[in-house]
Amino acid sequence: MTVPISAYLMLSVALLVLGMLGVIRRRNPLLLLLSIELMLNAGNVALIGFSRQWDDPAGQVFALVVMVVAAAEVVIGLGLTVAVFRSRMNLDVDEMSSMKG
Amino acid sequence: MAEQVTFAIAAIGALGFGIGVVFFRDAFRAAVSLIGTLLSVALLFIVLMAPFVAALQVIVYAGAIVVMFLFVIAYLGDRPIVAGTDRMDAVQPVAWIALAGVAAFGAITVLASTIGPEYTASDTDVGSPASIGNAFLNQHIIAFEVTSLIMLIAAVGAVILAKRAVMLEGGR
Repeated sequence: MTVPISAYLMLSVALLVLGMLGVIRRRNPLLLLLSIELMLNAGNVALIGFSRQWDDPAGQVFALVVMVVAAAEVVIGLGLTVAVFRSRMNLDVDEMSSMKG
Repeated sequence: MAEQVTFAIAAIGALGFGIGVVFFRDAFRAAVSLIGTLLSVALLFIVLMAPFVAALQVIVYAGAIVVMFLFVIAYLGDRPIVAGTDRMDAVQPVAWIALAGVAAFGAITVLASTIGPEYTASDTDVGSPASIGNAFLNQHIIAFEVTSLIMLIAAVGAVILAKRAVMLEGGR
């Protein structure tokens, strides 16, 4: 007996919604990025599940590309967070409302 | 049977630690909780016969990315949480409706659609490094090259951001 593919998809939906919940709830930019990681992982679960279903490595290639995008996104996101918040104010994205340096 | 048990453990782990990521007040604890989610997802990848992606998940995600998060959390330190005025208060109900909509849409889509053939329990080498490398270089060479370009852009962007932040504080 194997686990049906829909179980993996439901888990993926649950993780994605959890990540969205985090993005809505959190105001700390670092935790916002953590929640985005959760959502990207939800996508990866679905991709790997489809790769297994169709016996095709393309899904795993997609998952690796998603991983690279996640790494790049974290680098830039953390760089921005450090650049904006290192000297001033609380860690709260709602305070970051002006585009002036 | 073993597959179902492993799936159940990994799914509960992923969701449980994911709830930790979303609801822990402490940023450090949330980041450590993310490691649990990532390892659980890696376990799922092993169940799905993707050992190479599972290894990269542990090395790149749980290793490098989370360590970077922990480093920045330690660097920025704990700032007091001020219950300031939330300018986004007015649109928050829209966000909750959107969240419920995505959840309902995903669940209904998965449950109501015919997903195609179930996979068989046979051995497959679809997740071996050889087959992934083959797929990368033979069918997805553009994605491969774009990947390296993204890495380069991210590295250059991070250096420029760090340099500007130092210059703003009067350094060189």
